[in-house]
This record gives sequence, C-alpha cells and structure tokens, in this order.
Amino acid sequence: MQRRGRMPVPSRKVQLATAAMLLVATTVAACGDGQDNGAKASAPKAPATIPELTKDPLTLSFIWFDWPPAHALEAFANAEYKKERPNTTIKVNTVPNANWHDAMFTQFAARKTDFDIAILDSQHIGEAVTNGNILDITDFVKNNIDVKAYNPYLLAAYGQFPQAETGKRDENASLYGLPLLGDTWTMIYRKDLIGDKPPQTWDEMISVAERCQADNPGVSGLAFHQANGSDAAAVTYNTVNGVYGGNLWDSKTRKIEGVLNDAAGQEAMDVLVNKMKPLTAKGSGNWFIDEVNAAVAQGKACIAFNWIAASGGLLDPKQSTLGTTREQILDKPGFATLPSQKTNLVPLGGMGMHVSAYSSKANQAEALNFMKWFERADIQKKWAAAGGVPSRTDALESPEFLNAGPFNQVYTDSVPRMRDMWNVPEYARLVDIENTNVNAALNGAKKPKDALDDIAKEQQGVLDSSSRKGGGGL
Amino acid sequence: MSDPVPLTTGHPGQVASATPPAPGRSRRLSDRGLAVAFISPALLLLLAMSVFPLLWALYLSFTDYSATRGGPAHFVGFGNYTAILTSAQVHQRALTTLIYVVGAVGLQTVLGFAIAYLISRRTHGRGLLTTLFLVPMMLSPVVVGLFWRFMLDAQFGVINSMLGSLGVGQVEWLTRQRTALISLIVVDTWQWTPFIMLIALAGLTAVPRYLYEAASIDRASEWFRFRTITLPLVWPLLLIAVLFRAIEAFRLFDLVYILTSGGPGVSTETLSFHVYKVAFLGFHTGTASAYGILMVLVVIVLTQLYLRYLNKLKED
Repeated sequence: MQRRGRMPVPSRKVQLATAAMLLVATTVAACGDGQDNGAKASAPKAPATIPELTKDPLTLSFIWFDWPPAHALEAFANAEYKKERPNTTIKVNTVPNANWHDAMFTQFAARKTDFDIAILDSQHIGEAVTNGNILDITDFVKNNIDVKAYNPYLLAAYGQFPQAETGKRDENASLYGLPLLGDTWTMIYRKDLIGDKPPQTWDEMISVAERCQADNPGVSGLAFHQANGSDAAAVTYNTVNGVYGGNLWDSKTRKIEGVLNDAAGQEAMDVLVNKMKPLTAKGSGNWFIDEVNAAVAQGKACIAFNWIAASGGLLDPKQSTLGTTREQILDKPGFATLPSQKTNLVPLGGMGMHVSAYSSKANQAEALNFMKWFERADIQKKWAAAGGVPSRTDALESPEFLNAGPFNQVYTDSVPRMRDMWNVPEYARLVDIENTNVNAALNGAKKPKDALDDIAKEQQGVLDSSSRKGGGGL
Repeated sequence: MSDPVPLTTGHPGQVASATPPAPGRSRRLSDRGLAVAFISPALLLLLAMSVFPLLWALYLSFTDYSATRGGPAHFVGFGNYTAILTSAQVHQRALTTLIYVVGAVGLQTVLGFAIAYLISRRTHGRGLLTTLFLVPMMLSPVVVGLFWRFMLDAQFGVINSMLGSLGVGQVEWLTRQRTALISLIVVDTWQWTPFIMLIALAGLTAVPRYLYEAASIDRASEWFRFRTITLPLVWPLLLIAVLFRAIEAFRLFDLVYILTSGGPGVSTETLSFHVYKVAFLGFHTGTASAYGILMVLVVIVLTQLYLRYLNKLKED
C-alpha cells in the first residue's frame, strides 16, 4: 500500500537520467551563444561617418596597463573631451603590464568586453584583426582623419594590418586603429659623470659606460630591460640587433631561422651578453621599466635605456636622489637618441586606439567621435602639453610638445629611425620565446649562440605550425 | 481520497482531531522531495561550475579549438595528448615541478614536524606560539610573493643587506638558475610549514599519555620513545598532510608568477605556469585542456597509489 503524502522513490535509472538531463541542459545553456563564432573570421567594419551620438550619460571605457600615461590620459580626456561632450565620462581601466595582453584577449575570447577602446600594443593588431575583435576603421579614417598630417609609418604602425614595411605605409591596406601614444627608447646618460656630449656609436657607448663604472664605484655602467615578462628582454635584443644590422625575419617568405641568427644577429647577441651585461648591476636580470628608472633616479647607473613615455618620473624630486628640484635634477641626467652603429634603427614603442567589436553601438559611435576629436591638431598639442606623446607631425614639432619634457626632442628626432617587431597573430608566442631565451642568455642559463639559435628555431616552428595536427602552443 | 481517519488520544473514548501539518510544509512534498529541493541548487551549481567545465575541457582536449579564434573545433584525436607527452618542453617543466615538490614538501615536513614536536613539549604559551607560527599561512600567496620579491632583491633587498653585514657578497636570488628555484622552495616553505606543523601537532597531542608513562617505567630513552611511540602514531596523519601539500605544490603558479615569472629563461617554469602560457599567450585552448586533464590524471593516479599505501600502513 502506498503511503499517503509521500512520492514514490525514483529508481536509480530515473536518477541517472535526471542527472544526465541536467548536465545536458547545463551544457546547452553554457554553449548557447557560442555557435556563431566561426562566422567572424575578420574585423567588422566601422561606419564611414560617425552615427548620431547619444545625449544620455555615457561612460567611455579604455583598457591599458598601469603606468603614468594611463592616468594622464584619463585626467586629460575628462578635462578636455567633457567640454565638447558633457554627458561622457572617460574611464581608463588599468591592469599590471604583465597581464595587459591576457586582460584584453580573454575578454575578446568571451565576445564581451567591459571596455570600448582597447589600447593595443602595435604588435597585438594582427591577433585582434584575425579574430575579428576590433573594428576595421579604414573608411572612417578616409572620411574623418587628415592622414597627411602624420609620418606615414606612425599611422601604419599603430593601425595597419598586414604589417607595414619598416618606415613605409601601404596606402591600400586596411586600418584598424589610430595613434594614441608614440614612444621609443631614449638613452639617459649622466652628464656629470661622462660629460655633456652623449656617445654617438654603440661601441663608443659601451666603452664610455665601462670607463664610468670603473671611475665611480657603486655606479653601474649600464641599466636596461632584461626581464622575461612582457616584451622586456626581447625589445632589448631587437634594439641591439637592429643597430648591428640584423633582421628579425623575412616577412615575405615568413622565414626567421637563418635570418635572425645570421652573422649580424650573432654579433648583436654577443655584444648584448658579453659586452653590455657585465656593465649592469648584479641581480638586474629581472629589471624592466620601473627598476631601470629607480637605478637612474638613485644615481646608480651611468647610462640607461628606457621608454620615453615612462621617463617623466625621473624628474620628480620625490622619486629622485639626484636633486631636490626639477632644475637640480636636470643638471645630471641628459637624454639623447640611441647611438647608431651599422644602422641607426630605434625600437618603435607606443600604442594605438582600437574600437572593441563587442561594445554597444552607442559606445562605438562615441569611441569613433573620441578618436576623431583626439586626432585634431589642437587636441594633439594639448595632449603633448599634458604629458602625452602625440603622433601628428605638427604636434611633434610644436613648442607645446618640445618644451613639455627634456626627452621630447629625442622622440621627434627618432621618428624617421623606427622599426617595429612582427604584428602577426602569433606575436604573443613569438615574443615569449624571444623574451625567455634572451633572459636566459643574460642570466647565464644559456650560451648566447644557443639562445639565439633556439629563438630562431622555436619561432620558425610557431610560424610553420598552422598545418600541425594537435599540440599547438607547445 | 478517503476521509481522514480519526486518531485516538491517551484517554479512551475521546476522539481527537487530526494533527495539522507543520506550517509552510506542502502536503504533497515528501521527505525525499524536500531533500531533493534543498540539494538541487547546490547540485546545479556543482554541475555548472565543476562538472560541466571538466567535461567541456575533456571534449576540447581532443580538438584544436582556440578561444580567441573562435570557429568550429576540429577533432584531432589524441594529437594534443601525444604532443604534450612527447614534448621536450613539457619534460623540462615536469622535472622542475618534481624538484620543487620534493624539495618544498620535504623541507616543510621536516621543519613542520620539528616545530610541532618542540611546541608539544611546552606546557606554557603553546597556544600563542601556534597562532604566531600560523600567520604566514593566512597570507595571500600574491602578498607573500611580492614582499619576498622585495626582500630577495639583489640590490636593495634586506636579505642581501643582512648577508652583507656578515661579510657575504651579494647573492642573485631570483636571477640565477640554481638560486631561483631554491628561493621558490624557501618562500613556499616559509608559508606552508605551519600547515604541516598544525596537523603534526594534532597528531602529537592525540598520542595517549599512558604509553609514555609505561615507557618511562621501563626506563626507555627519549629517542626510543620518539622512534617507537611518537613517530609511528603520528606518521599516518603526517602522510595525509604531505599528500595535501604535495598536491598543492604540484599546482604551484602564483609564487612563480610573482617571484620569477618562470625565469631565468624557463628554469623555474612549473607545469601550471606552462599551462597558463599555452592557454593565454597563444590561446591554444585545446592543447591547454589536454595539458590540464593530464595533470589531473597524474594527481589522481599518484593519490590513489599513496592512499593505498596509507591503507596498508593502517592495516599493518
């Protein structure tokens, strides 16, 4: 007899079936919006003209890594852009430098971003374009931006894909971004220790640093990026590679092996590990931007190399032991373009603005409007005065920019000498291979020649791995 | 449905009304139904957050899927698994992880047990000492990593400063191949020795007093008492602590990320750190899923072997 008020106990089969149904339901629910992923193979197009902008309050969000220009941008944009669009608030979300790529691309992977404008490194463009993560703004640029106002290579480096040849721009190629912050390395040298005239060649720079180190106990000859995070050690090697006449790859044939590790490449690695590294401070094998700045600010380096956009803090008396006022500090460090050797190439830094394909239509329209506003001649000069590094030629040559910092002239002089890395979709892996191997060579974990050969071999493996069945990423 | 049957009270001849159901309780919901209703939310959560991701990862591990590229996932069979198991890079990270696990867990066991043994012999201040020793374990690994990074800095770190005052030269703790791995082991030991200590202390306090009293009547030496009473009784509990720590150490990621970023080169890259790179640098989701599944399998197999040994120990 069945007891009243009690349901029959389900059999084990029924329990299992229920559990299976729950699992299937969960699976279907979780995979629901993932079916159309394959349709997006390239970047969607932005409208050629800016759509009607909303009058409602709107927050325009950026994503960048945490460094002074990010805070400067937020303050500048809220002060100036609000004058034209009072309903818009600018928010620059920041993440640690080492998480920058992951923070953007994990959101791109989710097809949902909490930012409207991604500030991508120039090398990230290929990955974002191939995956359809950012808008194609070619038509928008044609209608709204005065492209003749820029050095063509700057416009190409921060927006073009496929990549531009060094120093050139392909007029027919598509554009996916516009310059936000220009940057390159500056040589910071102690005028009080090595004299007012900066070394002109790389070899001369090494011998001056050697002499300075010997004459000043406790002060190291050189300070530069060596860490294996971000692109630190890789940019250092690439810089020396360029100066000594080497090439990173042959972009037409996609060949790295035999190009990167040719005689010029080997010489560059030898110079870096056997001549430059012995002149650095002990334990500096994990130094990046902040550590190099700290060494300069504390008077612990004769010659240092750092990104211009990160050098502002060097003149802050609160952070420096070189003087109690900005003027006093400026008596000691001098800023110069990089010495040349076989070539005069310098690394291209900086980043562009790119509109997220997953942002709402209203925010995309606002983002395009912001970019058009930001690239205006008067705004670029104001950005320069606020501590930014503009890209328009008129702004780069303006007194607002040249008088804003002692290193700004270095940037203007360096623009025609710039060379970038690859901006292919495989960039993140290529740079990791180079970073870890250069870092290993700098810290004695690998012989310089072995490290360079390993870089060339492993990077070539990454470029050639598209036909590989399984195990991609190893 | 029949009418309710009248119930009798304790007093013969008196008919009592039926007891009303508890307020808020549905007449149709049985005990079992109620249990299912209560368990369902947790069960659904478990299915959505644990079981589904695991099965999804298992499915992806047989494909070349990439989270950022999107598009359909192509079936590659055991291609990912074969590539991982035959990769020299993976072998190198496995060796690094093994050295780290053996070094860190071994050191923590010896130190943790020694501290617990010393504390257990104290009658005064035992609670305070135990609490003080537990502090490192309560800190976030990221915080621990950051302050040890500053302390181990070759130029400005307090460790080298102290060594300098003793006449020892600067040591490159985090940027040399050998010292970097040792530094990781030392930092992990600093943080997790208290865990072993806590479990060992629980085992030591549970050893019956009468055994020691009997031993002292027999004039057994301190060493003999330790070897024949203390250690055999605490050993099974200690082995469980070792198991927990070994699993944790096998998955080490945070300290590596903060302290060395896997460097110099890749010499302190553990398996977990390598999986992270495969998953998020190139977004090779299929390979990373297979890598993760293999790591779970390794832990499960080793844990089973270990538990069998523990059971055998208990039977003996």
